[in-house]
Amino acid sequence: MLKAINITKKFGALAAVDDLSFEVEAGQVFGIAGPNGAGKSTLYNLITGFYKYEGKIEFDGKDITGLPTHKIARLGISRTFQIPHIFESLTVEESVNLGCRFGNSGKYDPGYSDEMISFASLTQERGNKTDLLNLLGKKRLMIASALATKPKILMVDEPMAGLNAIEIQQMTQLIKKINQDLNITVVIIEHFMKVLTELANPILVIQNGSEICTGTPEQITCNSEVIECYLGDSHDA
Amino acid sequence: MKAKSMIKILALTYGLIGILPIFVSDSSIMMRILTMILIWSVVASCWDLIMGYAGIFSFGQVAFYVIGAYSSAILSVSWNVPPIIAVFMAGIITAIIGVLVGLPCLKLAGPYIALVTFAFQLALEPFLKGPLGKAIGSGGSRGIISVPPIEIFGYSFSSSELVPFFYLAFIMTLICSAIIVVILKSHWGTAFLALKDSEDFAASLGVSAFKYKLLVFGITSFITGLFGALYVHYVGILSTRMLSMEVFTVLLIMIVVGGIGQYPGVVLGAMVTVTMNELLRPMGIYRLLIMGGMVVVVVLLLPDGVTGLIRKFTAPKFRRKTGAGSLR
Repeated sequence: MLKAINITKKFGALAAVDDLSFEVEAGQVFGIAGPNGAGKSTLYNLITGFYKYEGKIEFDGKDITGLPTHKIARLGISRTFQIPHIFESLTVEESVNLGCRFGNSGKYDPGYSDEMISFASLTQERGNKTDLLNLLGKKRLMIASALATKPKILMVDEPMAGLNAIEIQQMTQLIKKINQDLNITVVIIEHFMKVLTELANPILVIQNGSEICTGTPEQITCNSEVIECYLGDSHDA
Repeated sequence: MKAKSMIKILALTYGLIGILPIFVSDSSIMMRILTMILIWSVVASCWDLIMGYAGIFSFGQVAFYVIGAYSSAILSVSWNVPPIIAVFMAGIITAIIGVLVGLPCLKLAGPYIALVTFAFQLALEPFLKGPLGKAIGSGGSRGIISVPPIEIFGYSFSSSELVPFFYLAFIMTLICSAIIVVILKSHWGTAFLALKDSEDFAASLGVSAFKYKLLVFGITSFITGLFGALYVHYVGILSTRMLSMEVFTVLLIMIVVGGIGQYPGVVLGAMVTVTMNELLRPMGIYRLLIMGGMVVVVVLLLPDGVTGLIRKFTAPKFRRKTGAGSLR
C-alpha cells in the first residue's frame, strides 16, 4: 500500500533519513520506533510531502514523490503531529468539517464529519473553540480531523506523548478502533514501547535515519541492536 | 463571530450611516466624512481579511488602493474608457498585481511578508514619478488632474454632488461587505483561518496553501483597487501623496481600534478613526500624536479592539476548560 524505496533526506552533511526502504501493507498497524533524533518525524514529513528527498515513495501503486502535501492528503494519506496542531480560531466542529471538506477529493459529507466527531468522543465539545480542549482532547481532535478526510492510511506521531496512564489506555483503544472498526491502515510513531508492541505489528526500528530491524514485537524486543540503541552498550557502563 | 451577529452589526452600522444624509445633507464636511467612512471601512476590511483572517502580514494594501486609483484615472483620462468601466478594470488590474505580489510571499513567513509588501509600496512612488510611470500616463510628480466623475445613464456622480456619490459608495460598500461576509463564512474563510493557525496541519487535511493564499491576495486587492478607483473619480485629482505614511497609519489604526481579525469590528474602527481624524484636524501636528496615543491605549486595554469590548459585555461569563469524554 505504502512503499518507500531507498529514500534519503540530508540537512547539510547530516543524513536525517539514510537510504531507508520499507513497505506498509493494507490493514496493518505499522509501528516506527527509534531513539530521539532517529529521523522518525522527518520520515513522516517526507511521506506527506513537506520535504523534498532522494528516492521514491509509492502509494497504492502510484508514485507520490514530489507531490505537495495537500495532494497527498487528498490521495488518502492523513497524519497527526507530535505537538498538537489545532486551529485556535475554529470550533471543534469546524476543524473536523475542514478535513471533510478539503480531503476526500473535495466531496463534502457533513454526515461523515458528525460521525468522526462522535467516533473521537468529541460530541460534547463540538461547538467549543479548540483551545478550550485539554491535551487528550486536542490529540483526539487532530485524529478526528484527519479521519474526516477519509484516509486510507492514518499516520500518527507519538499520540501518547504527555498523556497520563488512563488517557494512554483511551488513546490506545481509539487507535485500535480506527484500524479495526474503520478498516484504516495505521502507521504509528511511538516512544512508549509497551503501547507500541501492544498496537503494532510489524515494527520498524530506526537509528540515525537507517533501519536497524523490522519485525514482530517479539522479534524487535529481543533484537540486540534495538536493546543497544535504547539502553546503550553494556560495555559502556 | 457568527454570520448572524456579523450581519446584525453591519446592518446596524451601515443602516445608521445610510440614514444620516437625511439629516446632514446640507453639511459638506459631514457628507465627506460619511463618504470616507464608507470607502475606508471597505479598504480596512480587506486589510483585515488578509492580515487578521488569513494571517498574511501584507503591508501593501495602501499600494493596491493607489494602483486602483491610478489604473482607473489613466484608463479614463489617457484611454477615454468610461469611468464606470474603468473602475472595474482597475479592480481587475489591481487583483492581477496583487496576485503577482503574493507569489513571492508564498515562500515567506510573517515579518518577511510585511517587508516585501511594504518594499512594494515604497517602490511604487518612484515608479509613478519616474519615466516609466510618466510613460503609462501617471503624470509624474504632478499627478493626474481632471479625472472625470463616474457617469451612469448620463447622471454624473462627482464631488460637487455629495449625496448621490455617497449613495453610490454606499451601494458598493454594501455589495463588497456582503461579499466579505460570504467569503468569511464559506469554506474559503475557514481555509484562511486554518492556514493562519497551522499551515502544516491545514495542508495535511488537503488545504492548498498556494491556492488560498493567492486567492486572498486576489480578492482583497481587487476590492481595494475598486475603492481606490471609486475614490479618484470622487475627488477628481490624484498624486503619489496618497502613498504617504499617514494614510498607511490611519488605516492601520482603524483595524487596531476595530480589532484585528474581528470583522466587522474594523467597520466600527473606520467610523471611529475617520471621525476622530476629522475632529482632530484643527490640532494640526498634534493630531497624529493623539491618534498614536489612542492606539497605545486601545492595544493595552482592548487587544481585540471595540469588538472585544462588545463581546466582553455580551459573552457568557463562565468558560470551562474541557477534555474529551470517555471513549465509547
